[in-house]
Amino acid sequence: MLKTFIDLLGDDARVLRRYGGLAVSYGLVSGLTIVTLVPILSRLLAGEARGAAPWLLLLIAGMAVCWAWRRQVEKAGVAVGVAILRSARQRVGDHVARLPVGWFTPQNTARLSHVLTQGMMALAQLPAHVLTPVISGAVVPLVIVVALFLLHWPLGLIALMALPLLAAMSLAAARLGRHAEQAYHRHFAQTSQRMVEFAQAQSVLRAFNGEGGGTRLLEQAMARQNRSATRLIYLSTASAVLNACTVQAIFAALLVAAMLWLQAAPDSATLIAAVVALLLVNRFIDPLLDVAGYGEVLRGVRGQLGAVREILAAQPLPEPAQSQAARDASVELRDVGFRYAAGEAAVLQDVSLHMAPWSMTALIGASGSGKTTLARLIARFFDVQQGSVRVGGVDVRDMSGEQLAAQISQIFQDSELFAGSIADNIRMGRPGAGDAEVLQAAHQAGVAEIIARLPQGIDTPVGEGGARLSGGERQRVAIARALIKRAPILLVDEATAALDAENQAVIAQALARLRGQCTLIVIAHQLSTVAMADHIVVLDGGRVCEQGTPAQLAAAGGRYAQFLAQRRAAKGWRLAPARS
Amino acid sequence: MSAHDTAAAQAREPGPIARVLLPIRGRLIAAALLSALGAVLTLVPLAAMAHIAALALGAAGALPDTLWSIVAISIACLLAGMASISAAELVAHLADNRLTHQLRLAAAQRLSHVPLGWFTGRASGEVKQAMQDDIGTLHELTAHFFTTAGRAAGAVLACALYLFAMDWRLAIVALLPFPAFFAFFGRAVKRSAANMGELATAMGRINNAVVEFTGGMPVLKAFGAAGKAHGAYREAVDSFARVFTDFTRPLVGAMANANAMIAPVAVLGVVLVAGTLFVAQGWMAPVDLLPFVLVAPGMSAPLLLLHYLTHDLNAATGAAQRVHALLQTPVLTQPAPAQRAIPAGAEVRFEQVGYAYDGQHNVLSDISFTLRPGTVTAVVGASGSGKSTLARLLLRFFDPTQGRITLGGADLRQMDSAALYRRIGFVLQEVRLIHASLRENIALGRPGAGLQEIEAAARAANIHERILRLPRGYDSVVGEDAQLSGGERQRVSIARAVLLDAPVLVLDEATAAADAESELAIQEALSRMAQGRSLLVIAHRLDTIAHADHIIVLEGGRIAEQGCHADLLSWGGRYARLWALGGHAPLQEEAGVAC
Repeated sequence: MLKTFIDLLGDDARVLRRYGGLAVSYGLVSGLTIVTLVPILSRLLAGEARGAAPWLLLLIAGMAVCWAWRRQVEKAGVAVGVAILRSARQRVGDHVARLPVGWFTPQNTARLSHVLTQGMMALAQLPAHVLTPVISGAVVPLVIVVALFLLHWPLGLIALMALPLLAAMSLAAARLGRHAEQAYHRHFAQTSQRMVEFAQAQSVLRAFNGEGGGTRLLEQAMARQNRSATRLIYLSTASAVLNACTVQAIFAALLVAAMLWLQAAPDSATLIAAVVALLLVNRFIDPLLDVAGYGEVLRGVRGQLGAVREILAAQPLPEPAQSQAARDASVELRDVGFRYAAGEAAVLQDVSLHMAPWSMTALIGASGSGKTTLARLIARFFDVQQGSVRVGGVDVRDMSGEQLAAQISQIFQDSELFAGSIADNIRMGRPGAGDAEVLQAAHQAGVAEIIARLPQGIDTPVGEGGARLSGGERQRVAIARALIKRAPILLVDEATAALDAENQAVIAQALARLRGQCTLIVIAHQLSTVAMADHIVVLDGGRVCEQGTPAQLAAAGGRYAQFLAQRRAAKGWRLAPARS
Repeated sequence: MSAHDTAAAQAREPGPIARVLLPIRGRLIAAALLSALGAVLTLVPLAAMAHIAALALGAAGALPDTLWSIVAISIACLLAGMASISAAELVAHLADNRLTHQLRLAAAQRLSHVPLGWFTGRASGEVKQAMQDDIGTLHELTAHFFTTAGRAAGAVLACALYLFAMDWRLAIVALLPFPAFFAFFGRAVKRSAANMGELATAMGRINNAVVEFTGGMPVLKAFGAAGKAHGAYREAVDSFARVFTDFTRPLVGAMANANAMIAPVAVLGVVLVAGTLFVAQGWMAPVDLLPFVLVAPGMSAPLLLLHYLTHDLNAATGAAQRVHALLQTPVLTQPAPAQRAIPAGAEVRFEQVGYAYDGQHNVLSDISFTLRPGTVTAVVGASGSGKSTLARLLLRFFDPTQGRITLGGADLRQMDSAALYRRIGFVLQEVRLIHASLRENIALGRPGAGLQEIEAAARAANIHERILRLPRGYDSVVGEDAQLSGGERQRVSIARAVLLDAPVLVLDEATAAADAESELAIQEALSRMAQGRSLLVIAHRLDTIAHADHIIVLEGGRIAEQGCHADLLSWGGRYARLWALGGHAPLQEEAGVAC
């Protein structure tokens, strides 16, 4: 937990160390100041109020130091907070900026954005509100143990032995609930998934709710979450009781020991010492109870830090020390093997392909055959585990991210737009582009009819994430952005990019126009697209099962010929009237 | 604002929080009382210690016989207090768990009846956020706030009463740091209030920057522009840190003073210094100082914890408001059981139906047609002409703003939704399978269907063989061991409609998302399912519906023309133009397509 904190702060960890040092020494000074109650009360109870005076002065001095020190602690705590809000946010930002595109799944993005906003705010508030009382609460008893030893060693011994016992018990108590907590988090996550599904599949759930009700599965998940929460509550209560019991048992033991001493006191001096010891016992126990009271808050902090740790643990793509420039517009895969995670099945195996500059390649195959992964590897969403991917004759791992990005333009699924106008979003593909170029790209991508409808035309703001445009419209703006970039290599996923008939037509036109002007690699869906290609690659189960020109493959009578036949048959289909 | 102010404000006006918490109000009050009782009981040993000390010092060595019974009673009180506090925590947590579960159930029920447009207007993540996270945020309020408040109130009140009973003069001095804490704290709050707006703005800015940075990163990397957005993010972070520093700078001093004021060492110091003076002045006996030394420093911890929790309470209050609003979302009107109309037959009629989005943007106007049982009606038109809206009105995803739609003579709005969906099935372009076994997915509309029926439906939908090839056959779970292609998923959704066996079927561009291998299979399945039902088909490609009994051509939300294929072609209107534009060959069996 502390290590993640330090990793998160990086160079600013010294701010944390300074704060930690100050908080601990504040605890020490507080403890020492509290201990002056021993001589003061001893003198007072012995009837020597005058003798208490120097100690009283010491106490007042101690209080003044504590006060001043506390201000320093608070300032240092705020410095830690600011360091989290600045350096830690920057550090996480720097880290994720180097992560492969493939890392940015919806779940990871959501978690990241939560960590960077609420998570960091919660961590930043921590020193001021939680850590200072907890640290001083843990240090003060240590000082008091020493004082108890000096007063009456059996008391000191009990208190000293109590500390490791307490630590052991609280570890045991924490372990008690751990299993239930994991189960709860699992059920919580499952219920969350069901809620997302509930929203996404609402139309189906509603229409097919004949008997069970559209909320049946969600309700089952919620019931499981509720049951595991109940179980967790009982176990956490048990663990809290265990903790409190330990503290109170220690208290009882110290009380009894002090009473025995009191009972056997031979003289009034000892009697007074015993009474004062009682007071110290109280000062020993109180802070321990306070620390225990912050247990749940600290557990929440552990959760936040865990999320941070997971993000920092994701491996960034290594950047080459010296980036090499692509030599041409070719793309080559050499014996590529790839799996998404160790232990999972290979998605691509022994794939070797060469796409000549300015050629058009169509990738076809059933879903799950590896087409999308192959296209993603070319754009270096991930690094391959075997073989190499070469763009312009250079291994993509030997190119900087910018250099590779300059070579490749992509038309994939629904792409993110940025708050700004339609023109701004298109221009992102080529920051220096003139208005005429932007308009031309808009025209080519079918954005022209969208802007014709809008009162502000191409300067219409798209809203956050493009929220003011429909899915198909957003996609066309994204296509315009990809087209204006005029990169030597264009990757297109026809199946996911074609949200509707218009988009399909836009993509078909773009492909026809760009053919021969850049290297086109298309995950093809339309028969017409496939027929246009110079080269067809048929993937099956992560391997290339056929490749060649359309004519060659059509004649070969293999998978491609089968694909053609199915496509043709589908095209002639008509929905027959019911009566026929 | 102190906890008491917050609590008082809540008590005066029953706002959303009070209403959301109403079902567990009794339990929460019980938990707060138990907590307070526990806090009082755990103070008993301290008073006992003071008492014993007084006895011991007074008797000069001769301790009374009752010593051990006092010790025993103290320990018993301590245990009872602990039990009481634990019980309070348990009660509050269980109440919280019960409340959040019920709120989630209520939200799910409510949302099942809101117009579907509510869902399309927001991301699924927001729905989850509202149902899971917002409701979860109430935890701070329900599970923690009331017990902590009870404990703090119990401890502070008991301490204050006890100390006043012991010596009112020293009690006043000993308690002085606490009002001083609130004074310093109040000053800090006042000082920060001026900058609060700026901080809130900065917070909004950084949240937007984070959303744009995280969400846009893949695209930015693709355009080699990651550095630029990263720069914007860095700038937003730095500027927020600056605003935050400016915001806290005047606060730190006051907060530090406030915290230092009630730190145990300060309270103890005040007691000792004042006490020594009192003793030196002869106002009190030294031994009477002991209760103060024992009790007073213990008051700061519950106050500080309470203070921290009120800090967190804003989030819970905001969440309570959102939850309350969620549960008030307007729903589609449901007829009272007595007024439910039972449809006679399966004829669908649209009567002057209009639909306006947001009450302003007309999507459909003046739509009238009849879908006779056993016929195929196709709706064609450019994208944006209102085709899909028309289909969704029939499915009652939302209600028309004008006119009415009847099924078997009954207005859809007068029908029980279960009765409606028993009669109307659909296959939409956007396929939604749920995370459950294929058997459950197909039997979604009829959970009681037998395996034979399910298999028959799957066979009709051309997906049976594929399912059998899966590792666990019909028990394979979608998204786990059943990885299906788009076309295969579409066939599962067709099987679902087949099993529902509704007399009216809506097909919305059902083949558009299919991959090559699946398209043929889907087409076969649809042809098979179309037999003997009334069909409303929303079509992209005109050639697929050329044989329909009736074709409706939509343009700008109105019916431009309607009729059968041959008639429409011969009129040479909009449909004829679309047909020519599509480059469709003349129907080979043109002569056979009579109206």
